[in-house]
Amino acid sequence: MRRLIVRRLLQTLPMLFFVSIVCFILVKAAPGDPVRSFVTPNMHAADIERVRHNLGLDQPLYVQYFMWLKECLTGNFGYSLVNHQPVLDQILERLPATAGLMASAIALAVIIAIPLGLAAGANRGRWVDKLVNMIAYIGNSLPLFWLAILMIYFFSIKLHWLPSMGMRTIGTDSALDVIKHGILPCIVLAIGFLSVYVRYIRSSTISQLREDYVQIQYAFGSTKRRILFRHVMKHVLLPIITLLGMSMGDLVAGAIVTETVFSWPGIGSLGMTAVRGMDYPVILGITLFSSVLLILGNLLADILYGIVDPRIKTTR
Amino acid sequence: MRKYLSGVIILALMTMLVTACGSGDNSGSSASPSDASQTASGQPKDGGNLIIGVASDPVILNPNYASDRVSLTIDQALYAPLFQVNNGKKTFYLADSLEPSADKLTYTLKLKSGLTWHDGEKLTADDVVFTFDKIMDEKQNSMLRSNFIIDGKPVKAVKIDDTTVEFKLPQVSPAFEAALVQVSPIPKHIFENEADIEKSPKNNTPVGSGPFKFKEYKTGEYVTLERFDNYFGGKPHLDSITYRISKDANASNLALQNGEINVKYVDPQDAATIESTGNFDMKNYSEGRLSYLIFNEKSDTGLLANKEVREALSYALNRDELIQVAYTSADYADPAKSFVTPDALYHDNNVPTYDNDVEKAKQMLQANGVTGKTLRFIVASGNKSQEAISLYVQQKLKDVGVNVEIQSMDSSAYTAKYTDPNATDYELAVGGYIMGFDPDAYSMLYTTGADSNYTHYSNPEVDKLFQQGASEADDTKRGEIYKKLQETIASDAVIYPIAYTKTIVAVDKRYGGLDEAVLKPVVIFEDLSKLYQK
Repeated sequence: MRRLIVRRLLQTLPMLFFVSIVCFILVKAAPGDPVRSFVTPNMHAADIERVRHNLGLDQPLYVQYFMWLKECLTGNFGYSLVNHQPVLDQILERLPATAGLMASAIALAVIIAIPLGLAAGANRGRWVDKLVNMIAYIGNSLPLFWLAILMIYFFSIKLHWLPSMGMRTIGTDSALDVIKHGILPCIVLAIGFLSVYVRYIRSSTISQLREDYVQIQYAFGSTKRRILFRHVMKHVLLPIITLLGMSMGDLVAGAIVTETVFSWPGIGSLGMTAVRGMDYPVILGITLFSSVLLILGNLLADILYGIVDPRIKTTR
Repeated sequence: MRKYLSGVIILALMTMLVTACGSGDNSGSSASPSDASQTASGQPKDGGNLIIGVASDPVILNPNYASDRVSLTIDQALYAPLFQVNNGKKTFYLADSLEPSADKLTYTLKLKSGLTWHDGEKLTADDVVFTFDKIMDEKQNSMLRSNFIIDGKPVKAVKIDDTTVEFKLPQVSPAFEAALVQVSPIPKHIFENEADIEKSPKNNTPVGSGPFKFKEYKTGEYVTLERFDNYFGGKPHLDSITYRISKDANASNLALQNGEINVKYVDPQDAATIESTGNFDMKNYSEGRLSYLIFNEKSDTGLLANKEVREALSYALNRDELIQVAYTSADYADPAKSFVTPDALYHDNNVPTYDNDVEKAKQMLQANGVTGKTLRFIVASGNKSQEAISLYVQQKLKDVGVNVEIQSMDSSAYTAKYTDPNATDYELAVGGYIMGFDPDAYSMLYTTGADSNYTHYSNPEVDKLFQQGASEADDTKRGEIYKKLQETIASDAVIYPIAYTKTIVAVDKRYGGLDEAVLKPVVIFEDLSKLYQK
C-alpha cells in the first residue's frame, strides 16, 4: 500500500509541472497588459517602462516562468498585481468560505442523488426513472447563474425568506446567520452537482442489478427493496468515491459564477476579480492551487478505493 | 416512495421559479421594506446606517494610490480633500484658502485650524507637505506624480507654519489647481517610517480625516465606516456607512430592490425597472465624460486620414438617434459637439458639426471614392452601449453606401487594440474619457504623437494652441485659445462626439440630504457627512 502511494505521488510531479507550464502560458497569451493597472493616461512612456521593469515583465517568457516557479516552490505564490497582497494569503483567507459552501453543496447533492439514482436504476424505463432523468437533464442544462437569479428573485425579493447576497448580515458574526446566507447558493450548486451524480448512480445500479449475486438473492427469496438497499447500494457507493475525488478541485476553485452572483466571498469571486483585473499571479495561484488539490483528491480516491474494494488492490 | 419525494419537490420548485419569472417584473415588490416614510420633514435626523453597493473590493484605501472607482469612492468618506471644484466653483474642505501669487508661480494654501485625524492626532501643514513629498518621490510610485511635473520639472511644497503651505511651480501652469484637487492628505505620523507606503500593511486600517472613520473590512463582503465625531465640517448625521461588495449587476439590482443595498449605480437599461418600484430617487448627473466615435486616421486603408471622408461619415449619422440607441433616453446623455466636457473650463458646445445630411454624405463619399469600401469597427463584447452604437453606425453607413464590418472582441483585447499606437487594422471604435476640469488635460488626446492620441490626429496649429493654453496666465486669453481649439478640432471632424453621458444613481427614498452632499462623478457623494436617514 505504501508503495502504491509513493508511486502515485511521484507520478503527480510531472503532471504538476505540466499543469504549471500550461497555466503560465495560457495566462501570458491572454490579451491585455498587466502594466496598465499601474499607469495613468498621463504617465510618460519612460515611466511606464520603469514600471514594467520593476515588475520583471520585460524579461523573456521563460525567465519569468522560472522566476515564478522558484518562488512557488518556496511557498511564495507572488503578490497580486492589483492590491499587492500575497496571493497565498488571499487564497487562504477565502478558503473557508468556499470550502464550507462547496462541501455542503456536494454533501447535499450526494444525499439526494443516492436515493434518486437507486430508484431510477431499479425502475429502469418506468415513470420514476423518466422523472429522475428529466431532473438530471434539466439540472445539467440550466445555466446556474440564471437559476441563481431566479432563486434570489423568488426567495429574497418575493417571499423575503432569505437574504440575497453576501455571507453575513453586516456587523453580525453568528454561524446561524452564515448558514442562512448560504442556503440559496448551496442549493444552486447542489443542483449542478446532483444532475451529474444521479446519472452515475443510476447507471451503476443498472449494471449491478444484472450481477449474479442479485439473481442469487432473488433465488433466496429476498425482496427487491432488501436487495437494493442491503446489497446493491454498497457497490453503487463505490463510484461516488471517485466522484468526490474529482470534486476536490471544485472544493477550492469554487464556483466562479455562483459565488459572483451571490457575492459569496470565496475563491471563485476572487478568481473573477483577478481575471477582470488581469491579475496574473492570483489567476495562476488559484489555478495551481486547485490543480494540486484535484490531483491529490484523485490520489486519495484511488487509495480509499483500494481500502474499500480489495479487488482493486490486487490488480495493481 | 419517500425516496422519490425530494426529487418531486425539486421539480415543483423549479416549475414555480420558472412561473415566477414569467409572471414578470411589473407587479413590483409592494412589500419591499424600503417604503418611503412620508411623514419625514426636511429636518436632518441623526442616526442610521447607509449601505452603498460597489462592484468590487477596494484595491487600496490610500488616496495617494487609489485609482479604481471603489477605492476612490471609499476614500472620499475616509480622507477629506483640501478642496473640491464643482462647475468652476471651489468648495474648501481641509483648506481655508488657496491663493496664487501675482506671478502665478507660488500658490499659498491655508489650512483650517484645529484639524484632527481619526486617531486624535493633529492634522497640520507637516502632513500636507509629507503627502506631497511622497507623491513626488519616484520610489513611492504614486500615480498622481505626473500631474505635478510641469515641463519636466517638479512642483515643490514648503511648510511656512503649522497651517500654511506654499507650492512652488517651475513655470506658470493654470492646470495646477486641477491637479491639487485630487490630493487628500495622508497622516505623516502613521506612514513616516514606511519604506514603501503602497505595500504598507497600515493601509489595511486607514486613518484619515474625512467624515467617517474605518471600522471593519471583510474581504469580498463589505467595508464599514463609522461616524467621526470631530469631523471639521460638523458631526455627520449617519452612524455608519457600509460599502457592500456585489460583483454581479443583476444580483445587486435585486439586492437594491430588497433593501439590502440603499445606494447604487444603475445602468440606463435597468433604470426604468428600478424606478418603477417607487422606492428610489433616481439621480442623473453629468459625469464630465464624453462618449465618442474614434476615427483611426492611421488605419492601413488610410481612408479616414482624409478630412472630407470623416466629415461625410459624420453627415451620415444622427446624434439624437445615437443617444436613443445607446443610452435609451435623452435623460441619460446630453448631445455632445465639443471635445471638451461641460464641467470643464471654457467648454463651448457651439462649434461646427456635421450631421444629419445623408445626401451630402453620399456625394462626398462618392467624390472621394469611398463608396462601396469597408470600414472595420472594433467593439468590446458585452458592452451594451458600444454594441448598440456599432450596429446603428453599420445601418446608417449602409444607407450611404459604406460597409461596416463589426469586430467584436474581449474587452481587454479591445482596450489593448485601441490604445496601441501601432494598431492599423481598424477604422472605427467607440471611446470615452473623463479628463477633469482643466482643458490642458486634453492635450494628450489631440496633440501630435501624444500618449493617448488614439485617432492619430496631427495638426501643428492644434499642437501650438495647446502649448500656449498650458502656460497662458490671463484667463480671457486662455479662454480664447481653448475656444479656437474646440472649433478647429470640431471642424476637422477628428472624432464624432456622441454625448456627455450621465451617471444614474438610485438612492433609497428613506435617505435625504442628497443635494447638500453633492452628487459627484465616480465617487457618488462629495461630502457624506450631510446625508441623513429620514
